[in-house]
Amino acid sequence: MNRPRSAGRGRPLLYTSYAQDIAMFNTPGKRWGVAALFALALLAPFAFNDDVVLILALALVAAIGAIGLNLVTGYAGQVSLGHAFFLGIGTYAGAVLGGDPEATRALAFGLPMVVWIPGAGLVAALAGLIVGPLATRLRGLYLAIVTLGLVFLGGHLFKEARFITGGIGAGRRGAALDFFGYRFDQAGPLLGLDLTRAQKQYVLALVLLSIFAVLGRNLARSGVGRAFSAIRDRDIAAEVIGVGLTKYKVLAFTISSFYAGVAGAVFYSIAGVVEPTAFNLLLSVQYIAMILIGGVATISGSIMGAIFIMTLARVTQEIAHYIPYISTQAIGGGLINVFQLEAILYGLLIIGFLIFEPRGLFGIWFRTRNYWKGWPFSY
Amino acid sequence: MSPKKRWTYLPLLLVVLALVAAGCRAAEQEMQPPEDQEQEPAGDDDAQGAQTDVGVTEEPCPNAVNEDNGCIYLGIISDLTVGPFAPLAGPITEAQAAFWRRVNEEGGIAGYDIDATTYVRDNEFNAEVHNRVFQEIRGEVLALAQTLGSSPTLAILDDMRDDSIVGAPASWNSAWEFEDVILESGANYCFESMNGVDWATEQVGTDISLLHIHFPDDYGNDAAAGSEIAAQAHGIEYSAQETPPGRDQQAGAIEAVVSQSPDVLFITTGPQEMVEIVGRAAARGWQGLVLGSGPTWNPALLGTDAAPALEAMYHQVGPWGTWGTDTAGHQAMRDALGDVSEINDGYTAGWVWSYPMRAALEAAAENGDLTREGLLQAVSALTEVDYEGMLPNEAGNYADEPEQGAFRQSIIAGVDTESETGVSTIEDFFTGPTAEEHALDGPCYELG
Amino acid sequence: MTRFVQSVVTGFGFGSIYALLALGFVIIYKSTLVISFAQPSLMVIGGLLSYFFATVLGLNFFLALLLAMAAAALVGVIVERSALRPMIGKPVFVVAIITIGVDIVLRIVANRFIGPRPRPVRDPWGLSSLEIGGVFIQQRSLAMVAVTGVVVVALAVFFKYSRTGLAMRATALDQETSLAQGISVGTVFALSWALAGALAAVAGTFVGAGSGLDQQSWIIALKALPAIILGGLDSLPGAVIGGLTVGIVESLVATYQGQYAPWLGANFSVVSPYVIMLIVLLIRPYGLFGTPEVKRV
Repeated sequence: MNRPRSAGRGRPLLYTSYAQDIAMFNTPGKRWGVAALFALALLAPFAFNDDVVLILALALVAAIGAIGLNLVTGYAGQVSLGHAFFLGIGTYAGAVLGGDPEATRALAFGLPMVVWIPGAGLVAALAGLIVGPLATRLRGLYLAIVTLGLVFLGGHLFKEARFITGGIGAGRRGAALDFFGYRFDQAGPLLGLDLTRAQKQYVLALVLLSIFAVLGRNLARSGVGRAFSAIRDRDIAAEVIGVGLTKYKVLAFTISSFYAGVAGAVFYSIAGVVEPTAFNLLLSVQYIAMILIGGVATISGSIMGAIFIMTLARVTQEIAHYIPYISTQAIGGGLINVFQLEAILYGLLIIGFLIFEPRGLFGIWFRTRNYWKGWPFSY
Repeated sequence: MSPKKRWTYLPLLLVVLALVAAGCRAAEQEMQPPEDQEQEPAGDDDAQGAQTDVGVTEEPCPNAVNEDNGCIYLGIISDLTVGPFAPLAGPITEAQAAFWRRVNEEGGIAGYDIDATTYVRDNEFNAEVHNRVFQEIRGEVLALAQTLGSSPTLAILDDMRDDSIVGAPASWNSAWEFEDVILESGANYCFESMNGVDWATEQVGTDISLLHIHFPDDYGNDAAAGSEIAAQAHGIEYSAQETPPGRDQQAGAIEAVVSQSPDVLFITTGPQEMVEIVGRAAARGWQGLVLGSGPTWNPALLGTDAAPALEAMYHQVGPWGTWGTDTAGHQAMRDALGDVSEINDGYTAGWVWSYPMRAALEAAAENGDLTREGLLQAVSALTEVDYEGMLPNEAGNYADEPEQGAFRQSIIAGVDTESETGVSTIEDFFTGPTAEEHALDGPCYELG
Repeated sequence: MTRFVQSVVTGFGFGSIYALLALGFVIIYKSTLVISFAQPSLMVIGGLLSYFFATVLGLNFFLALLLAMAAAALVGVIVERSALRPMIGKPVFVVAIITIGVDIVLRIVANRFIGPRPRPVRDPWGLSSLEIGGVFIQQRSLAMVAVTGVVVVALAVFFKYSRTGLAMRATALDQETSLAQGISVGTVFALSWALAGALAAVAGTFVGAGSGLDQQSWIIALKALPAIILGGLDSLPGAVIGGLTVGIVESLVATYQGQYAPWLGANFSVVSPYVIMLIVLLIRPYGLFGTPEVKRV
């Protein structure tokens, strides 16, 4: 394919074709910016200690799930509080397919990563396909709470299916990160570098996220993505211009669930053990918070939001120790202890962020970019 | 500057960032406790003479009791904010801090003070969070003074084995008997239930029916497995029913009690559920013997409407004597904790769980090897632990196989309005015939 | 038959708690179009306040209840002023997530006050119950139903006949138009949060009566979610009927499911309200009493 010339250099805002306008990297800034960010992301595991690298790896995997939620909620406008359900389905599908039969008493087949990652996605996608038609009947908050009902029903299913999930309190191990005999869940060499387990998990997470982010971005700028946006903006109008509501709503749920399934399976294989009560309302809300804080209907926003939410606990932990008059003892002592303060800060940061920047991290980036675009003029 | 020119600086910038970043990680790693070989000369030269590696420093602890002593850091990962065990985990953690403070005030162990307050982390009773915070303190502590929860502990068990990190659990699962790195204390839920049923048959005979209502989690299932084994041994009419957490969810359990009208009702739930079931069933005319276990009880229950029913019927089988028991260990605990405003047996549990760790540290120091490896070796050679009377010394047998080493004795406590925790011992340590004969060749309820 | 009636009666008791909570959700939703996830913490705080007045200070139960309602209403207003007022006109889902943040903060504070022991609210009824034809009816359940009834009637009268109630209805219908008519929409928002706080306090008081409030009691408040959807998000009678339905369904399922449908798994009663909710919504997408949205292009 010929690369449009003006996107390459010279006149960044001049588009001579539609294809050029909707190209994935339609400005040189984007192209270089993404390259720079990717380079930075590759350096991160060497910049931080393993405990932080683990958190970042989990954040990158969570970002895959957040992109999935953003596809259905941000792009297609179907608010889903049921993401935890799809994450759970994917997690257990992955754990059953890819779990090490010798390491767990629950059902496990020990299949390689190339099988269980898509497998987890497909099983979750199937669940999304079944649930999707609900969205054609319900709208807005009703849909949100019904999908929340799914989380409770799923929770019951997970608790009862002990041969798969291990049961409450006991849990089971996630899938093994085994890539044709190469283990991403054990320390060892990778491309000539001697990496720790967390670093290898991080690299894997980064690779997976890159793949799914590009896929997501491509979907969003394709005809399907534009159909999603049409439904979000005014569903009846979309129907009138020939966008099949049922087809695209079901498609949105299916694709979103595929992302959730992959994210869940990989997340808990990195985290180690998964317990059936993990897939609750709070998890769904966490993902909603990721896309709201990151930026609705943006891929980069989903990633930023996931990183923000996943690292927030660690950040508040660091901050909490610098606030005076707080007891560092577990209980007793001052008015509240340091752990309660952490939890309160977590809540306050989410509130504060949404009050002062309702468009999320992407909104901040957007304003910064526009400021510099117009500089030295204010607009 | 033209756009093109501006971008040429980017690779340069990245290289600089990379250098800074690499320096950052390296610098932080140097701050971690040095490896064996670097430490050994210092270790050989110092007064204590014990070999050390991770989590032991020659510098005194923060806020040290003995400024001249070195410091052994122990980690605690507990449920301190939003999880279901927060009401017990706080007291457990506080009692452990008091325990080690007392050890330090008595001079510490082999020239080291023990610090169990610096590396305390909250797991929110979530396996993923548990793993995350464990990685954070993994390179800083010698061992874990507490790792709360079964699935959370499972999430770090492989790493604990890899690093030879010993940990005291904050639960009584039968699965812990089979883990070398876990320093469990007291009879597990499974033996405890057997003893409870054995004791009940002594009270009301074997021609009875028994209903076991339990949580659907590892605690409830481990306990139910034990009571079923005992009921079979006695030929008792047995049924078990799961009940979900939550006061408003007990209609099914109450219905089961009223319709089956068992002679003995064994309940392993939380306090709220137990009081709802017993109170409502009693109000509808049910009477019988109620058996609970440690986590089933809360002293505040005697302030509720169900108090008369509880006083008449409730007993609990426990791993050791409650707060007010008259032993040297209990006395030391009460002295060390001083004025606790709201006493509960979380304190007792936290205190008791600390003894094996102290014994292991002392043994390791005696062997001259306070490394993680050395500590693990010391643990696997422990045949008894001095619990100062809170548990018999043989309860601390970690050397033998589970079949011989597992501790099988429990106590029975009854409601006692005079006692601070509302219950006090009515039958001291005993092993029932069922627990005595049970071959422990696997956990009663498996994890993972 | 006795068993069936007994089960329904038991369900009615908890159902009235769910109904009170559901009313709080609906009142906030009607005026602000936001689902407030802060109701669980408001409920716990209300119950704790009752505990403080009735058990610690030893006041009369009903006086304590009124004081707790007033104090919880104040908490509701504070929450509205500090966290939600800046969000007027912002997307409702962003606001809903903010209420979750509020819930986290308030609940941690409440847990700090609850501490390790459950906090029982002392009430005049205890465990005493009436026996009618072999069915045991807890006096407390009767009191709960009675209080719920009084509250519902009072709310209905308030909305129907008072000027403020009229203003609230007008605001629910159209915010801009009511502004133009001289209604202070901000006051209406604050008032609906105050009402929701007071209702949550009543619910919290009855949750805490008997065995007490502990750190996990907040979960009960989530039962109001299927209740409001069943009844219709914007219908006050719907909230009451939805709440009672959830209570009764749960109790019936808990009583009979083990016998007739054990294959559904133990403790299916916990999720049974959601199943009912799904079925109702597939037939009536706006709940039993909700107002269907008029779609325009």
